[in-house]
Amino acid sequence: MKLKKNFDVIEFLKNNLVPIMFIIICAICIPLSGLSPSYLLNEIVTRMGRNIFLILSLLIPIMAGMGLNFGMTLGAMAGQIALIFVTDWQIWGIPGVVLAMILSVPLSVLFGLVCGKLMNMAKGREMIVGYMMNYTGTGFYQLIVLYLMGLIIPIKHTSIRLPRGYGIRTTVNLTSLRQCLDNEFAIFFKGVKIPVLNFIIIAGLCLFVVWFRRTKLGQDMRAVGQDMGVAQAAGINVDRTRIVAIIMSTVLAGFGQIIYLQNIGNFPTYTAHSQIGMFCIAALLVGGASVEKASIGNVFLGVILFHTMFIVAPKAGVTITGDAMIGEYFRVFVSYGVITLALVMYEIKKRRSRSLGGALLAQAQREGGTQS
Amino acid sequence: MKGKTLIIRLAVLAVAAALAAVMMVIGRGHTLYFDNKTIEDYQGQEYKAFERVVVTVKGEEVAKLGKRERGMATWIGQDFKMVLEITEKKGDEPRIEEISIQLPYGVDGVVINLPAYLAGLPEDAWFSEFVPMVEEEPSEEDLPGEGDGFGLEGDMGLEGDLGV
Repeated sequence: MKLKKNFDVIEFLKNNLVPIMFIIICAICIPLSGLSPSYLLNEIVTRMGRNIFLILSLLIPIMAGMGLNFGMTLGAMAGQIALIFVTDWQIWGIPGVVLAMILSVPLSVLFGLVCGKLMNMAKGREMIVGYMMNYTGTGFYQLIVLYLMGLIIPIKHTSIRLPRGYGIRTTVNLTSLRQCLDNEFAIFFKGVKIPVLNFIIIAGLCLFVVWFRRTKLGQDMRAVGQDMGVAQAAGINVDRTRIVAIIMSTVLAGFGQIIYLQNIGNFPTYTAHSQIGMFCIAALLVGGASVEKASIGNVFLGVILFHTMFIVAPKAGVTITGDAMIGEYFRVFVSYGVITLALVMYEIKKRRSRSLGGALLAQAQREGGTQS
Repeated sequence: MKGKTLIIRLAVLAVAAALAAVMMVIGRGHTLYFDNKTIEDYQGQEYKAFERVVVTVKGEEVAKLGKRERGMATWIGQDFKMVLEITEKKGDEPRIEEISIQLPYGVDGVVINLPAYLAGLPEDAWFSEFVPMVEEEPSEEDLPGEGDGFGLEGDMGLEGDLGV
């Protein structure tokens, strides 16, 4: 019988440095914040319901070896454009959300296709390409929303159109959609509102991700993620598989943004999407994921830890320094810091494994030379 | 592309289009305004406002209207239903009427004159479109692309940007 490998504490700490750090931060900040457990739980459950879908959209590109999809912002833009149409057409409630999701799909597919093609041209640099695509996409989005809507694309309601007659106002009110998913089948347990329908949708996506990994396409993505050369040699169309991964991620990000914004109830038209990729990626990394490996568990843990910090940091900041802004700065600093840390750790790990591979090859060559 | 794949893709497209069409019909929202006002001269006749009308929509009491008062409710879909508890004159026993009205798809705000509707008058007597007042033009909104920030001014605060 094989003996189980001994538990290595240092290895465990090294692999889970970020979540452990966040658990410690939360453990210190929660008592300092003075927030009641029911309030804290209510906030965390609400944020889980609105954020998890967005973060789950990041899993598929990681599976395909494309790293953290900063390009998910393009999907968020597609979702927002769809929401503007739905608001103008006065489609309310859950039908409005479903219609927005359907409308976002062609836009997301188009954005994902362009993003995937560009990423294929810059293999190994997908994250920076995705990040820069955000800015390109933002310009394109502004062209559509600020100039074409009202001029070429009909927008009927003056409540969302700018007074000059074209372009969309800086804030779009989603009162008619507000929390329609959260309130459907919602249950209250000891003062905590549980958005059951949101969690059913999230569970559906989790099951889809689990099922998808086992499909032929899912297996192809994993193969491409492990080694593109080997996958190509095995007859997998690497470029196509990578494009499909990005398209799927963009479409899911569009859905996620719609779920997110229906919970908030309004959105700043020109900035709502700008940081969505950043904080979703930060949450995923906080959950213990890396650039090359992420699981559904990482998503859930990440959302809980990251958002607990979001909720308690300002209050803890007040207690410690008397200024809520210190907590605000702290959480922003930690969020960006965790992304930097994850990217640096990934690069170090990659270089280490490369130099280890080189050393092993050199040793093998030396041994081969001695034998001959 | 193989024939079977093409058929599947077309079928998915058709289902999505059909679902979108259904959502557009069943999800169309309307705001309804109920007027309990006297119609003074409709074809030479007067239709007096009720003493009191209680409007219930989907089991929820949305308005209690005295004479010359207006109530409001929202409705998703075109098949509008409400229950009215009408007291015609002071001291009368209230009577209950269940009412179903087919709302026009293209109208956002619908004004229903209850005395005219309950008197069985034609649609032009009890139905009118609510036209919101033209708002004063607010000062120019802070739009992106103005100034030298490349439209990225609000980029610093993660979820804080969204007012969360």
